[in-house]
Amino acid sequence: MAALYVMIPIAVIIVALAIWLFFWAVDSGQYDDLDGPAHSILFDDEDPRHQAGVDEAQDDKDPRA
Amino acid sequence: MTTPLPCYHCGLPVPSGGRFQARILGETRELCCPGCQAVAEAIVAGGLESYYRHRSESSANPEALPKALGDELALFDRADVQQPFVSHSGELAETSLMIEGISCAACGWLIEKHLRAMPGVGEAQLNLSNQRLRVRWDDARLPLSQLLHELRRIGYAGHPYQADQAAERMAAENRRVLRQLGVAGLLWMQVMMASMATWPEFNIDLSAGMDSILRWTSLLLTTPIVFYCCTDFFRGALRDLRTRHLTMDVSVSLAIGGAYVAGIWSTVTGVGELYFDAVGMFALFLLAGRYLERRARERTAAATAQLVNLLPASCLRLDQDDQPERILLGELVLGDRVLVQPGALLPADGIILSGQSSIDESLLTGEYLPLPRGEGDSVTAGTLNVEGPLTLQVQALGDDTRLSAIVRLLERAQGEKPRLAELADQVAQWFLLIVLGVAAVVGLVWWQIDPQRAFWIVLALLVATCPCALSLATPTALTAATGRLHQLGLLITRGHVLEGLNRIDTVIFDKTGTLTEGRLALSAIHPLGALDQDACLALAAALENRSEHPIARAFGRAPVAAEQVDSLPGLGLEGVVAGRRLRIGRADFVSALAEQPAPPIPGQNGQWLLLGDSDGPLAWLVLDDRIRSDAAALLDACRARNWQVVLLSGDSSPMVAEVARTLGIADARGGLTPDAKLEVLRQLHSEGRSVLMLGDGVNDVPVLAAADISIAMGSATDLAKTSADAVLLSNRLDSLVEGLAVARRTRRIIIENLTWASLYNGLILPFAAVGWVTPIWAALGMSASSLLVVLNALRLSAGGDQPRSRHS
Repeated sequence: MAALYVMIPIAVIIVALAIWLFFWAVDSGQYDDLDGPAHSILFDDEDPRHQAGVDEAQDDKDPRA
Repeated sequence: MTTPLPCYHCGLPVPSGGRFQARILGETRELCCPGCQAVAEAIVAGGLESYYRHRSESSANPEALPKALGDELALFDRADVQQPFVSHSGELAETSLMIEGISCAACGWLIEKHLRAMPGVGEAQLNLSNQRLRVRWDDARLPLSQLLHELRRIGYAGHPYQADQAAERMAAENRRVLRQLGVAGLLWMQVMMASMATWPEFNIDLSAGMDSILRWTSLLLTTPIVFYCCTDFFRGALRDLRTRHLTMDVSVSLAIGGAYVAGIWSTVTGVGELYFDAVGMFALFLLAGRYLERRARERTAAATAQLVNLLPASCLRLDQDDQPERILLGELVLGDRVLVQPGALLPADGIILSGQSSIDESLLTGEYLPLPRGEGDSVTAGTLNVEGPLTLQVQALGDDTRLSAIVRLLERAQGEKPRLAELADQVAQWFLLIVLGVAAVVGLVWWQIDPQRAFWIVLALLVATCPCALSLATPTALTAATGRLHQLGLLITRGHVLEGLNRIDTVIFDKTGTLTEGRLALSAIHPLGALDQDACLALAAALENRSEHPIARAFGRAPVAAEQVDSLPGLGLEGVVAGRRLRIGRADFVSALAEQPAPPIPGQNGQWLLLGDSDGPLAWLVLDDRIRSDAAALLDACRARNWQVVLLSGDSSPMVAEVARTLGIADARGGLTPDAKLEVLRQLHSEGRSVLMLGDGVNDVPVLAAADISIAMGSATDLAKTSADAVLLSNRLDSLVEGLAVARRTRRIIIENLTWASLYNGLILPFAAVGWVTPIWAALGMSASSLLVVLNALRLSAGGDQPRSRHS
């Protein structure tokens, strides 16, 4: 039970940190566009570092795709 | 004829004998026009052709974008012009551009990739939801005009964007609401852990000291929820109490405030129940509901309320030596002489000094045919010069123009908009009265039985019946319905539309651009000589394709080319096609080529053009503004709902009666000024009618603003879109018919939700009155009923194309 005397203040500090982090994220505009990033991840195949893997996967499936 | 092949780039039909091709994704593709070809080639050359693999929609046709004037772009390189929207930090400049022509997510990828590959561009980021591009680039190496030009090359138009106050306030408000939501969520989790530990149901063997520490911790964590996250509820409640209304905000504030104050009391004295977790849950659920509703609407508002394109950004001023010089509109002063090229918007009210042309005033007045104007005539800012170059003397600028007068009328009209009472608030009123009444009675009774418990029982009653599900009933249904309508192409920008649509009994239509397509299209060809229709059309198209005139588009693309084409403003075109000298245009002008008298025009409606060669006239070509193909279905839907239909048009031609007859509208009035249209609306309002207005032009704007519910067409002017409550993005009237059905279903779901929520509150009331409800039961009941309401609302977003089983 004595551990709670330490844990409760720590929990309060952590939640304060989380709120600070959240405010920072909101203010830096990370929540401004909630649609774009969801799509842009689909186009990452174009990255040359990924390209080899993508080609390989496509060769396996359907050469015409 | 075979069905035309769609253009690989923009999806428009490819003219027969297509001459435009590009090699994309390893195959040769047919394209419809040189614009598409240039864009497609630029995309392929930039190594970005996989855009075509990723896109989910056809691209925008580059010729549909506003025309780029090279010297207008160059204006943007001037430091004083850039000053308001470009900021510099070190070597890099930063700006926001509004992007036109985005059709799907792949466009964002294309723009970002293309710009980032350019030398000098440090960062390019497109926000898809509001279609704004943020660029950081080295403007010493790459002038802004070049950047805009590059966007053009891949098929998009960029406009410098300067957030106006309203947009800034909206963005700040969004962030504030999101912060409130986040704080409520994060803190509630902690409050829940701390306060639940004190509940007897969990059988935690707490020491007295630990119990008091947990109570103080939850008080500490709840305080920001109440004072930071819930301020909007308290403010709303105060406002409504002042105007003597009992609304949802009042009951919400009462429940939150009551639970919080009792929690303080219980923390300080160490006796009684703790309801802090209920406060947190309540706040989180309500804020989430409101945030989602807000987001669903705002996404659409941001996408539509952007460009004010009523006036051109720049114009050509003539100096003493008659040399044109491009200047910004703001630099123009009274008395200046301005040269307006065909196809350009008039920058100011003025009088024509020289030139002969016709002016398209359709947006301002609703007249659907361009009107001929010559020396000495007055012209209005914001109208379109169609045919020949004009020299104007500026007589009124800015606030003094006729255009601004309409905008002022709009501001006045906004104040007249009746506020539709919301269903939820009506229910809330009764709900609150009943709860307060019951609480008073229960309190009195318990005071007699056991004064010690009376306070806690009344509090439990208030918390247990707090209208969480009730307040979620409407926002969740509206959010789901708004999303569904967005898919259909109808954007709701204000909250009252869905509920209000069910109360409408009169609908006003505008004609030009709303019931009709708002642009001239070829409606008939009457051959007079030996040539048949197709041959005549081919000759006419060959001539018109060399013309900049907006009418020319109606003819489509020509299979043959014309040579030596001359445009004679006010008269027509003359040129040589396949060795044959031809004229098209006014009858007397065309007949003069064969030295014959002009034949009389055989019909009434529309614009009649004669085509002829040196042997005599060949054919009449009739241009007309066609009625939209789905207009009749919409009218039927309106009549099925027993709505009274009124057609109000600024057009004074017989076309108004013609449209009304075709569509079966009994009450049609033409030749109305914006003032007169507003007067008709006032008349209808004074008869106690609720009016839906559907329009598109600037002349409809005051009525759009004052009608109970207004819907602007997607092709409407931005001013019309911003003053309307909803925008028909798809431009298809049949999505409106579906929208009406969705509105009806939404209302049913809202009523179901309200019923279930009240039922739950009614059921728990007796238990609370007897004193059986402890915080754990209050929490369970609250979340279960809220979940039920949310799930019910989600049914709206799931298609709904098939008739679903009825709930009894």
